Amino acid sequence: MSLLHSYVKVRARERGRALPRATVRHIHLAEAPMVFVPLRLAGEAAAPLAAMVGTDPLHPTLLVVPQPRNRDLRFQFLADLGAVLLPYIDRISRQVETVEAKTPFDRCLDAPQIVVPSAGGVEFTAKLGRSSRFRRTTGPYAVEPAVPMLGRWLTFLAEQSEFAGSSLMVAMTDLLTAHWVTGQSAPEDGDLAALLGWIDPPDGMTGPEAAALADDPLTPPAGPDTHPEFDRQELQKAIEHYDVTGSTDQVEQALHGQLRPTWDRMWQAIGLLAALKESPGATARWERDRVHVAMHRAWIDGGGLPQGKRDSAVAAAKRLARLEAAQQSFEATRAFDDPLVMAEYRADGVAFAGEVVAVDLTRRIVPPGGKREVPRPLVTIETSDPVRLGRGKKVRSPSRPRQSATITAISEKIITVQIDDGMGRGAQPAEGSVPGVGTVICYTELDPGESRRAPLPPREETPWTHGGPPPEYVPTDDDAMEPWS
Amino acid sequence: MNRLDGIRGGTPGQDHNARSIAALAANPACDRRAILDAAAIDKPLLMKRLRFDDRWGQSPFAIQRNQQFTDLVKANGAAHLLRLLRELLDLPIEEAGYVNLEDVGGHEGHLARHGHTRRVIKQTAEGLGRATILDRPLLRLDVAGAQVYLEPDVIAFQLGGMFHIVAIKSFAILDDQADTPKVSAAAREAAVYVHALRDVVGRDLVSHDVILVCPKDFTNAPTATTVDVRHQLVTLARQLSRLTRIDALLDRLPEGFSLDLETLSSGEIEAAVAAIPARYAPQCLSACELSHLCRKEAHLNEQVDALGRIVRDDLGGIESVTTALRVATPGEPVADDQAEIAERLRHVARIYDEAVA
Amino acid sequence: MGKLRTAIRQATAAGRHAEARALRARLREAERQWDTGVEQPSAQPPLVPVREQVHRALTLLGAPTAAKMIVAVDESFFGGQMANTQLTSLRRDEEKSYRSAPGARPYYLCAALTSELLSPARGLLALSTWELPQRIIGPLSPRTDFLTSAIRLAEHLMRLESASTGAFRLLGQLAQNIPGGGDGFGPADPAKVIAAAGAELAVHQERDQMDRREAAARAADRLKPVERLFGTGLKSVRSA
Repeated sequence: MSLLHSYVKVRARERGRALPRATVRHIHLAEAPMVFVPLRLAGEAAAPLAAMVGTDPLHPTLLVVPQPRNRDLRFQFLADLGAVLLPYIDRISRQVETVEAKTPFDRCLDAPQIVVPSAGGVEFTAKLGRSSRFRRTTGPYAVEPAVPMLGRWLTFLAEQSEFAGSSLMVAMTDLLTAHWVTGQSAPEDGDLAALLGWIDPPDGMTGPEAAALADDPLTPPAGPDTHPEFDRQELQKAIEHYDVTGSTDQVEQALHGQLRPTWDRMWQAIGLLAALKESPGATARWERDRVHVAMHRAWIDGGGLPQGKRDSAVAAAKRLARLEAAQQSFEATRAFDDPLVMAEYRADGVAFAGEVVAVDLTRRIVPPGGKREVPRPLVTIETSDPVRLGRGKKVRSPSRPRQSATITAISEKIITVQIDDGMGRGAQPAEGSVPGVGTVICYTELDPGESRRAPLPPREETPWTHGGPPPEYVPTDDDAMEPWS
Repeated sequence: MNRLDGIRGGTPGQDHNARSIAALAANPACDRRAILDAAAIDKPLLMKRLRFDDRWGQSPFAIQRNQQFTDLVKANGAAHLLRLLRELLDLPIEEAGYVNLEDVGGHEGHLARHGHTRRVIKQTAEGLGRATILDRPLLRLDVAGAQVYLEPDVIAFQLGGMFHIVAIKSFAILDDQADTPKVSAAAREAAVYVHALRDVVGRDLVSHDVILVCPKDFTNAPTATTVDVRHQLVTLARQLSRLTRIDALLDRLPEGFSLDLETLSSGEIEAAVAAIPARYAPQCLSACELSHLCRKEAHLNEQVDALGRIVRDDLGGIESVTTALRVATPGEPVADDQAEIAERLRHVARIYDEAVA
Repeated sequence: MGKLRTAIRQATAAGRHAEARALRARLREAERQWDTGVEQPSAQPPLVPVREQVHRALTLLGAPTAAKMIVAVDESFFGGQMANTQLTSLRRDEEKSYRSAPGARPYYLCAALTSELLSPARGLLALSTWELPQRIIGPLSPRTDFLTSAIRLAEHLMRLESASTGAFRLLGQLAQNIPGGGDGFGPADPAKVIAAAGAELAVHQERDQMDRREAAARAADRLKPVERLFGTGLKSVRSA
């Protein structure tokens, strides 16, 4: 968040309509995204109640658990969900290319993309994954083979979603708030209907009017939690009807009514996002997503075990480091790809933009630790941004992302940077390698380069302070039979 | 407290509970909530009378699940709970006493029940009696001058040790982790009980570690963990002390002020509520039944607060949307104390327009 | 089935998991056959009136018990089918019947009395034929009664030639809350339950009996016969 963001919120409030927060789309949109709108039974950790799922906006598949307290019906639901999701995942993840590199690696040609309404949907998906990936397909409490396989993929996708910028499993409200600013608060933006009301209200309505409709009892919540009044007045009766008659009609009808509006909104939102041009960073991150899918595919096909319940100390630390690196690189790339995102950093003083007013191309110095004189030209920029960077700060420019520079002098409105590299091997900087007078340029401390990871000991060298080397997690009979009540 | 009863009129009251005290303490500057709570106004009914959608009720499925789980933990002389306490507190086997404090010989009024609880707890603290598990206690707390009765699930006592508040919740602890917001809510609630129990037996005899009993993983099997509520206790004590005395708030209301939900028209109710100043912030949406009403009002008044704490802090003292936008427009007159924020806002306005264009 | 269970325990203890798994599958199959053979008749409407079902369960349990447990025991040990709700007004009806014609029935389903106030203990049902101390609830009594009932259920299971899986499951659920009684997974071992519950009972029994006898003496001294059965207190009639 930034002062700019707060200002735009105020302006959106006054205007009665959301305003753009990005000029390009910072996530990849798959050709056929799989929309997944799950609901759970209130008061339960991971009791699925229903879901609307599919890749065709006009023909969603509705899955329900007519009696959510019945364990067998819950697993039947997961098997049915697997019958929709697994063929989709399999078809896409089995098409693999080998990328030539120092160490060649596999990458899927495309990747699955699951879109859920909100962060709560991602969390619930992770719980569904946890509750099904250890299930056995033989012996006592056997489930259909699709169930544990679905559990492993859902776990994988939910884990990937924690990495900033991954597009494999995304929450629609997160995507929309990354691209638009509404005139309501963050918790209200968590409601898909209200959020979309601000961004794309129906004809003749203002944003706040459309958002107010989301508070109407007739507008079902986007899940995974249902409206308590719906539970009391409709669902309870429908379930009783099923208990008595064995007919799922009423339950299906009631849940269809709750899910369909959200389903339609999901596609409306996808349409809005699709209208934005994809940023180069998003395309690059999707390539990485495709590598991760290929790796997981290979792990499963090679007979690898399902994900453990907990990470070992080293795995947890590594994961944290990777999460942080992904976050940093995502934030920087977004700013480099999009002047509107960069404007937020300029407002907060960690980036600045302005016109080059002077250039000293002939300056040569002996860099610290060096022996020979090398060219280190100075570029002076005039800016009206409230810069909070200090002397000696390493900076980069989105227009020359591969060149690093250092701030050497800073005074009100005038900043001088020294260009450190990317000028060729000659005694003078190569033609065009240094910004010329009159150029408008932006510099920032952000660095989109993959940040270096702190080296961590390999698994077998886990220090004793962290419990020593962890045993490989092997699911037990108890995992498979874990009662599900 | 006659004045408070007068405000409520003939409509049945809705008692305070630990959750409502925690909610009140979360926003101590809100006079509206303070008065409505003190007068025991039925807030869900009020909202219904004003035709606001009620999202506050609990799902029957959640209620049922919670009841079933609580019953299970307390069944057979709280056998599950005793096992968990033995593991958690290293209770010696001798300490197995269970007392149901609700059994007060037919005297079921709050005062009698609270008196009984108080007596048994004091005896227990003095080492008399054999109770380890005190089921269904009734505590009392002074909230801004009003007496509020509270019902913790269970109080556990360890001989030679301390009292512990036990909170039984039906959300799952999955692979040793539970939903943070749910645990936080449970901790805030439990802190209210700890605070009230300390009133009875003194600070040193009540542990700041409360015992949280939840279902383990996807099962019904109860598991327990301790939650340190020191932080919540400090916040609670500070906020309770900041609550304006109810008398002072009442003095500001007009003579004959009424909020009798059964006799007033919805228009009159709306006017009466509007007469008590509220302090709305988006956090209210997850804590207060009135929040949707207050939000509407805040937006009508173009309050910046309604956009969230970050926006409010960023705008450094500017209270209304119109003022913020006027100040951000070059050439508009600006008050001295807003000169700095005006300059910054004008800068962001300019770079935003440049970037969008 | 008993043999199978023993074999499973041995296999599990020896770490022979594959064998244990296979045995468990066989056991489950045996149980299924057993259940279809044994529990089928219980699907028919009960021939025994509710008060007699409760009497039969309480006699087996041997201690004041809550409705839910009575229903569970009736179902898993006697193949009965009662709903909790059928028991809610029972105590009130029994008291009415007693008041209109004291002692006309061979037994009454009555209250247990709290040791402190001699008021009816909430939610518990007892038998009028029990000695007064047995119907007193002191601080340790819920625990000793729980242990006593567990022992009696286990003894009953050992006497039976064959019992339903439900009965073993119920005992297993109780046993997990008794130190050394079992882990709550798999079928319960009655002998182990008896030993474990007995060990803990020995710790509490003397103090509990003391409390109970003292309160019973007080009750005998102060209460009228009807109060000794249904308790004192303004609302004893209303609480069931």
